[in-house]
Amino acid sequence: MTFKLPFLRACPLNIGYLRSLSLFADLTPPELAIVGHLLHERDYLAGEVIFDECEVGQAIYFLLEGEVTICRQGRPEDSQLARLGPGEFFGELGLLGNSIRTAQARADTDCRLLVLFSDDFNGLMDSHLRVAHKIGRQLLRHLGQRLRELGLAVGAHRHL
Amino acid sequence: MSKNLRNTSDPVVWVVIIAVTLALLQVFEKTLWLVVPALLALLLYYTLYPLVQALVFRGVERGHATAAVMVTFLILLVVAAVLIAPQAAGHALDWQTSAARYLEGGIRLLNNLLSTLEAHFPPLARAHLADVVARRLDQSVGIIQYLEPIVTGLAVGMPALLMAPFLAYFFLRDGRRFKNLLCHAVPNAYFERTLTLLREVDRTSRAYFQGLLMLTVLDTLTLAVVLWLMDFPAAIALALICAVLAWIPYVGSILGGLLVVLVAATDFPGTSTMAYSAAALFVFVRLLDDFVYMPITVGRNLHMHPLVTVVMIFAGGAVAGIAGLTLVLPVLGVVRVVGETVGIVLTDPRLRARHRHARWRCRNAAAEDLIMEQVAMPSPGPGRDIGNSTVR
Repeated sequence: MTFKLPFLRACPLNIGYLRSLSLFADLTPPELAIVGHLLHERDYLAGEVIFDECEVGQAIYFLLEGEVTICRQGRPEDSQLARLGPGEFFGELGLLGNSIRTAQARADTDCRLLVLFSDDFNGLMDSHLRVAHKIGRQLLRHLGQRLRELGLAVGAHRHL
Repeated sequence: MSKNLRNTSDPVVWVVIIAVTLALLQVFEKTLWLVVPALLALLLYYTLYPLVQALVFRGVERGHATAAVMVTFLILLVVAAVLIAPQAAGHALDWQTSAARYLEGGIRLLNNLLSTLEAHFPPLARAHLADVVARRLDQSVGIIQYLEPIVTGLAVGMPALLMAPFLAYFFLRDGRRFKNLLCHAVPNAYFERTLTLLREVDRTSRAYFQGLLMLTVLDTLTLAVVLWLMDFPAAIALALICAVLAWIPYVGSILGGLLVVLVAATDFPGTSTMAYSAAALFVFVRLLDDFVYMPITVGRNLHMHPLVTVVMIFAGGAVAGIAGLTLVLPVLGVVRVVGETVGIVLTDPRLRARHRHARWRCRNAAAEDLIMEQVAMPSPGPGRDIGNSTVR
């Protein structure tokens, strides 16, 4: 039994819930525990900006509760690009480090998010390559899906 | 980010950074009982961190990895202490005699030097320089008695140093949790920037301490080889002491040089050229180290101009003495990163606007039900009864 200061105890994230996030679907419970230690939990109020378009992205966000709108800068009503619900994630290019955000993210309702910082993901690639590989594979699947959708939308899907 | 930081430095931010650094040095000088163990703990942390990480890479849980590495380190420390203790105890008994012997050797060398100078320069002979210096040294008899309080002070301060491994253990085990705790207190608008700031602070202090360790190992090896070639006794120990003393820029080098000269003058009494050549070589190596190696290794790791590094070392010494000389570079490095990032964050109008907006929403959300209630309820008339009390 180890002594831990109360305020330094690890955040009691629900491992089962983490597994329901598509990016972590392949991870085993011990691997989820490793990732759980790297995640920051944040609360946002309805209408609050999570990140701005053209901002340098440093992190990926996972939606635990509530809804988030992805839109053009400052136009959540007339230029909504996507509306995300619990279990979904956004800002994934921020995980690749210093990429410019291509849209604004705003909390539609009060919401709770998990944040994975790109530097922590890079550390994970050094320390737990298997875990990072599994997350990376899911991320690639997700990006491939996005590209396919985009290709279908513009009629250039032959090579995707 | 570091590129951004360097691009956005402006003179006002730098003035604030330098002022805060000097103020912190003054505070640290008054709290050396805590600062010294904390610094040693940081040094230990950055030394042991790669080992802990290596175990974590192999799938060991961080707490267990930290415990294993610290226990191994402490066992090695105890074994080393047990091996060295008998010899150290033997030397401790005659440390006073040895110190007096080496001081006498130094004084003898000085007398020889002054006599030679008088022989070659008649004005010095007419001024009786050797006699004057000898009288001065006679007046300051009992240099040993000045050493005693220093040694006693070190002995009294030793228990505080025991805090170092204790602190290092918690830095290694709970460092990440502490970082998360700090992040938790940061408003959403500044969150990503703060994570970047913490990464930069960690990178800066890691670069400084790892650079310092590398410099110490290189100094020890170089000096040990040179001293061994010159046939000095206990070359490795002497080199190690000099390398550790070099943590104090300039003053440490002079003390190290003095130590080598005293040993040369005492252990090679017949050949004074040995002492002169040792002094010349040592001073040359040390000054090269302070003015060239230190600014381009530690200074470059901190992304500071060599001129700023040298000027700040002098300023640190003027403000807080030896403690200031030793601490000025790491403190300046960390304050620079924090100062420049805070400068960027606080002067970013978009981030400030987002923060104000979030606070406004938070205030509204906190009072939302009260406002609704107020709108729904008719305003109370004068003298309306609520239970047993009357509201007016």
